[in-house]
Amino acid sequence: MSHPPISRRGLLKGAGLGAAAVGSLPLLDACGGLKGSSSSSSDVLRIGYVSPQTGALAGFAAADNFIVKQINQAVRNGVTIGGKKRKFEIVVKDTQSSPNRATEVTRELINDGVDLIVGSSTPDTTNPVADQCEANGIPNVTTIAPWEAWYFGRGAKPGEGFTYTTLFFFGMEQFGDCFFPMWERIGASSKDVACLWPNDTDANAFRDGLGAMMKKTGYNPIDGGAYEDGSTDFTAQMTKFKNSDAELFTCTPIPPDFQTFWKQAQQQGFRPKLATVAKVMLFPTEAEALGPLSKNIATDIWWSPAHPYKSVLDGTTAKQLADGYAADTGKQWTQALGSIYSLFEVGIQALKGADDPKDKDEVAKNLREMSLSCMSGDLDFTAGPEQGIAIQHPVGGQWREGKDFPWDVVIVDNTPNPDVPVGGDLQPTNA
Amino acid sequence: MDWLNAVVQGLLLGGLYALFATGLSLMFGVMRVVNLAHGDLAVVASFLAVAIISGTGLPLWFVLCVTTPLFALLGYLTQRVLLQRSLSAGPMSTLVVTFGLSIVIQNVLLEVFSADTRTLDGGSFATGSFEISGQLSIPYLSLATFVLAVVVLVAIQLFLSRTGLGRMLRASSDDPDTATLVGADSRHVYGIATAIAFATVALAGVMMAMRSSFDPATGPSRLLFAFEAVVIGGLGSLWGTLLGGMVLGLTQSIGAQIDPALTILGGHLVFLVVLAFRPQGLLPGRTA
Repeated sequence: MSHPPISRRGLLKGAGLGAAAVGSLPLLDACGGLKGSSSSSSDVLRIGYVSPQTGALAGFAAADNFIVKQINQAVRNGVTIGGKKRKFEIVVKDTQSSPNRATEVTRELINDGVDLIVGSSTPDTTNPVADQCEANGIPNVTTIAPWEAWYFGRGAKPGEGFTYTTLFFFGMEQFGDCFFPMWERIGASSKDVACLWPNDTDANAFRDGLGAMMKKTGYNPIDGGAYEDGSTDFTAQMTKFKNSDAELFTCTPIPPDFQTFWKQAQQQGFRPKLATVAKVMLFPTEAEALGPLSKNIATDIWWSPAHPYKSVLDGTTAKQLADGYAADTGKQWTQALGSIYSLFEVGIQALKGADDPKDKDEVAKNLREMSLSCMSGDLDFTAGPEQGIAIQHPVGGQWREGKDFPWDVVIVDNTPNPDVPVGGDLQPTNA
Repeated sequence: MDWLNAVVQGLLLGGLYALFATGLSLMFGVMRVVNLAHGDLAVVASFLAVAIISGTGLPLWFVLCVTTPLFALLGYLTQRVLLQRSLSAGPMSTLVVTFGLSIVIQNVLLEVFSADTRTLDGGSFATGSFEISGQLSIPYLSLATFVLAVVVLVAIQLFLSRTGLGRMLRASSDDPDTATLVGADSRHVYGIATAIAFATVALAGVMMAMRSSFDPATGPSRLLFAFEAVVIGGLGSLWGTLLGGMVLGLTQSIGAQIDPALTILGGHLVFLVVLAFRPQGLLPGRTA
């Protein structure tokens, strides 16, 4: 009875005993990391991809299959690295939107001997994946998580970065850079800003980070209070906002709560002149669900078909990628499309740039020192706020009725990133 | 005025909780079944309503008229096919069956409708309100839900006390064996009770779909509020359920007015206090 449990646990932990019991895995060193792979597989570079394909976060991963197909197409002829022709293979794993499951599947990938792991969407995915990669010495890049949550959330101290794990996205400062110019332009009668921030990690980061930045720039946050996620009634917050006469509104709720709040705001007569929301209204499905109330809600847009960027792999433009996705799946583009595409660009570039792509330390160094013009624009991992972080600059976009799909994003403010063309005027959310 | 608004919104919210909890209360009162799939059934009704509306463009009232009887039928079948078998095997087994049902429903919904968050677009009915003053407005939707809850509860109460079938239902609830001896088919009677319970869940599900949003995983958190409303009001008592729903809504709303962090906690605390000091609930059912 004692053998099966040992081998199973050993397999999960990647410990030497487990590998011996299973018998089919390569030798493992004392730390549990993989040292090289068998020579027959050295011509194939394997990239593990971890994302939430099912569960509450599934919206982020809707384009996964399409992107993997695109990447496979782009590198189908292989690449010569270190004097040898290499092929790429992408192994996809689903976290089921659970951080525990994310840890588990990352370990599976590591035990399978992948050469690099990429992962996306929310700290619930990026953090457990990056933690496993850092501990096991596997080069890793992730995206779609505020850098502060990814960096400090994993216990790093300022100035002491990670060795194997990298991230490209943005943080609190970029939210401010994105929202403040729109607030300035809309011509609100006061500097009060109604803030709907629940009591969760994301919103508390906004309360501390964006709240402080607002005060510094002369805005006065009217905090609706740290309510619990999943509230069914927002009368109290609405009352506070209405009493303050705030004409600007910002929030970081979970998506279902925003739908409830925004409907109740309409019922109870809280109609801010401009709503700039974070964390919600990122996807067309949310705008469709909210219907006509979506009109002119502004949010941060870090990637859109209008962004003047193209693939480093095969020159596909942002527009072509979005159109290709629509043609292939019949679905509308989402911002995740560009980010996830870039994960593979960055990963493949790091492997390409290595003398020996099987050398984990060299590939990790390439990641940390990467500077790349790709589908997500110019990503410079050396210029970030901490080591191994590349910062993107989201611009302001508003939801409007679209042509091909019911709702589409129009870029209305490009102050933080003038490369992105403006597609329309900034309009009041409630006139 | 702020407080008055909080009280009004809280009471109206209580109507929704009561409507939602009615089915749970009825099934417990009649069969001693705690239906853990209750929340998920409401979500099924929400999805069904969205699917019908987006597929056919039929008006909302018509969708309610279709969904409710459909759920009643579904309830009758569920009772006869699924729950009746487990009833004889003791309370633990019905609990496990409904728990299993809950998981099955969530995963089927995920498979069919994906994990996307949806809402039911109720148009101006869902967003409009009677504006009494700048600080006090009564949303049409909340008011309609409250009225619907009261109507449904009164109707069920009248059905139970005035009709022959209702009397049989109460008799089967009190003592199924003796009721069977005098000619009541308890299985059929239980089926009727479940049908009524499912019909009210469908109503609540559609109302909730218009009020906020839902996805396949929303059910269990909804169930908690229904469960609290039933326990606060008194297990197995329909008037108690109405009272329980309103107490819960009011507590949450007033809690939020004091500090938004107290919203849900306030409701839980009242639930705990009732459990500790008055476990039979505020208006306990006559049948123990």
